[in-house]
Amino acid sequence: MSFMKHWHIWMLLVFVVASLLAIGLRDYPYGRDGVKIAYVARDSPAYGVFKQGMIITSLNGATVADASAWQTLSSATGPVKLTVDGRVYEFAVNKTLGIDAVDMERTNIELGLDLQGGTRIVLKPKTNATPETIQQIISILQTRANLYGLKEINFYPVSGIGESFVQIEAAGVGSDVVDDLLSRQGTFYALINKTAPVKEGEASLRIGDSYYNMTLLDNGTISVGGNAVQPGGKFTLQDVEFLYVGRTNRTAEFLAKVFDNDDIELVYTDPQKSGIQPQGKVFFFHFAVLVSKQGAERFAALTKGMGSYLDMASGEEYLDGKLFLYLDDEQISDLNIGAGLRGQVINTPSIQGSRETRDAAMKEMLSMQTVLRSGALPVSLETVSVDVISPRLGSSFFESTAYAALLAAAIVVALIVIRYRSLNVAIPMIFISFSEVLIIMGVAAGNDSRIWMSALAVNALIVGLAYWKKEVVDMSGVMGALLVPLVGLISWTIDLAAIAGVVAIIGTGVNHQIIIADETMMRTDEEKKKKTYFFRDHIKRAFFIIFGAAATTVAAMTPLIILGIGMIRGFAITALVGTLIGVLVTRPAYAGIIERVMSKKERL
Amino acid sequence: MELPIKNYKLLLVIPIALMVVSAGILITHYMRTGEWFNRSFELTGGTLVTIETKQATDIGAVESALSQFKVSVRSLTGFGGSKLLIQAGSDADSKAIIAALGSIGIDTSVSSVQTIGPALSESFWVQAQLALAAAFVFMGIVVFVLFRDPVPSGYVMLCAFSDIVVAMALMQVFGIELSLASLGGLIMLLDYSVDTDILLTTRCLRGTGTFGERWKSSVKTGFTMFGTAFGALVALYISGLSPVISEIAAVLILGLCADVILTWIQNSVLLKVHMERKGLL
Repeated sequence: MSFMKHWHIWMLLVFVVASLLAIGLRDYPYGRDGVKIAYVARDSPAYGVFKQGMIITSLNGATVADASAWQTLSSATGPVKLTVDGRVYEFAVNKTLGIDAVDMERTNIELGLDLQGGTRIVLKPKTNATPETIQQIISILQTRANLYGLKEINFYPVSGIGESFVQIEAAGVGSDVVDDLLSRQGTFYALINKTAPVKEGEASLRIGDSYYNMTLLDNGTISVGGNAVQPGGKFTLQDVEFLYVGRTNRTAEFLAKVFDNDDIELVYTDPQKSGIQPQGKVFFFHFAVLVSKQGAERFAALTKGMGSYLDMASGEEYLDGKLFLYLDDEQISDLNIGAGLRGQVINTPSIQGSRETRDAAMKEMLSMQTVLRSGALPVSLETVSVDVISPRLGSSFFESTAYAALLAAAIVVALIVIRYRSLNVAIPMIFISFSEVLIIMGVAAGNDSRIWMSALAVNALIVGLAYWKKEVVDMSGVMGALLVPLVGLISWTIDLAAIAGVVAIIGTGVNHQIIIADETMMRTDEEKKKKTYFFRDHIKRAFFIIFGAAATTVAAMTPLIILGIGMIRGFAITALVGTLIGVLVTRPAYAGIIERVMSKKERL
Repeated sequence: MELPIKNYKLLLVIPIALMVVSAGILITHYMRTGEWFNRSFELTGGTLVTIETKQATDIGAVESALSQFKVSVRSLTGFGGSKLLIQAGSDADSKAIIAALGSIGIDTSVSSVQTIGPALSESFWVQAQLALAAAFVFMGIVVFVLFRDPVPSGYVMLCAFSDIVVAMALMQVFGIELSLASLGGLIMLLDYSVDTDILLTTRCLRGTGTFGERWKSSVKTGFTMFGTAFGALVALYISGLSPVISEIAAVLILGLCADVILTWIQNSVLLKVHMERKGLL
């Protein structure tokens, strides 16, 4: 018997080795011991020195083997010596080192959120958004995340049927950050309230040096330039947008838009122009913004000739009109305007607010500054889904999965042994199923192009040798040798859905192997009569069923890949790739093994 | 050898009765609620709080602690400890729910909160329906290309369709909601059902020997397949790895049982009738 007769089995072994390498082969430039920096707190002495993703290998001479070792070691205070990315750093730690670190990845498989913990948020534009708009939203959100200091956070456009979403995945972002920072549209505007005195049935509104007379009509309506405006209605004078609030017999009240997003040229974050002060039981925060020339001139025109009053509490004199600042239609500050600013070109108004704790004030100030710096989103977003999964939820999962797989394998082996009364059918079946899982994982792993290209070369050689030795070389085997390494280049996340896909593949895999075993062991009447056995005929019929079944799987999964978002997609990709590996590589190899088993048994 | 009973056409009574009862269950549900089946929070919008605990928790105590919220409580126990699953509306205050659980002494340090708003769940629901329909239609095309004869191909798809109907009715009986996970289970079931029917049809149309022999050989293979799949799924189900895996396993276990009747009785009888008419036997 020729060495190359069972080239399908050799091909499978090459893929198994390639997959093991694709999963496990990693560079450890600083050694296998160490932890990866996940987050550096603002009050950490290492803030700004270390970046997320750097590797810590030792602390004060002690090796940091893993995240739990880091937990105990990192509580050190006083002088601390850290080895990070191969270099030594020294810090004086007063309170806390403030560095969160996680275990280094040991495989090239990217685990899904549901297995390793984290936050996933899906935001939906409130109005229909084109793909360009979604890209614009994502770039603004990325700016916000960078400005805010969120590092391990990813934004993806996701499309449903006729709808678009923005998906955010982060290692640990609370829903508060989403509400305060990411889903805020960031529409900013400032209003000044203006009062127009009423005389002889007309209200007189002053802007700069001009006076606009408005006739009072019935039901509180006024006439602006011949147009009737009801309370709550809007009109524009001298490029300023006014909101008519209402009137009494003596005055008419208006709100004038003095600044909006387009006027903000700079948001100050330096300590001179921003800060937090305790005041009574709350903490006040303030920061200045630089507004455009047009905005500043608008302010001057609107405050010109405005009345003022003396505030008894502070002894200061303020203008009658106040400045109200709004973010996403919510009032964030109302500011008294000092009488000295009347009619002045003011270009650095200050934004103020208060919170109950210093932390909350800090956070609010930071998220407001960030939102204002990044600009407004083209459309407002609503949060449609939030998943917050604790990192420890998945930790016991792999252990339990191993037990479950063992139990399932034991049941399958027992049934197969009972049915065929032979371990020769059952043992290869377990090996084949295991190698299917392994190859799927190897294909899903990332950074493995060199490995898969080598596998392609070796398998092309195997097929070539088999052809040269005049063995039967089937089309599907050739496709397997070429196609599977190419598929190996892609990578996707292994999440629960993908695991479900693996379960589906193992299920159909075992079924197909049973079909192969049964077909090859069956004897037709003719064979019984002639006491011969046509192995190829049997295999052909088995593979008719298997290829037919696989084709239906491909048919079922393809629309899911195109349609599906989120969970369904990972399931479909895994099942599709698994089917491909199954019919082109592993199940033909099983047929080869069974052929050997049969030929020994029947002494052919 | 022939089919076990002489008047084999009478065997069709079993699958017909199964279909009538299943359709009855679905229709009754439709009349009562206006929906064919219960959709899970993923497809209607809602919040799912999952708490991982070392020991199984007393559901009654949890329910009374959460009586102020509108929630439903389930638990899942397996190799990796126990999971407490609390389902509430999408506007539910998950922090308050977790705090209430903490107040009755449950360790809530390992938890996950999933919230899906009505907008996304509606999109999921549309996709789920399209996915199932597309999977069915595309599979039908492949099966037709495979056998190039509309009658047996139609029987394969009829069997697959019946499998889905019976599985959905059984899901209702056992209180399994239609979720993205159970939808995945249904698509796997569709795949499994078509696989067994392709096996049966291939063996019967292209095999040798009498119809009974062909049938018997495919039943032997089919039951081995059923046994291993069933055994492995039960192992997965009792392992309680995750609600997703358990739900898929449960749907498949129910569907596999339905498939035994629908493939090895319904489709076999229909195939024999077809082959007799065509003079293939």
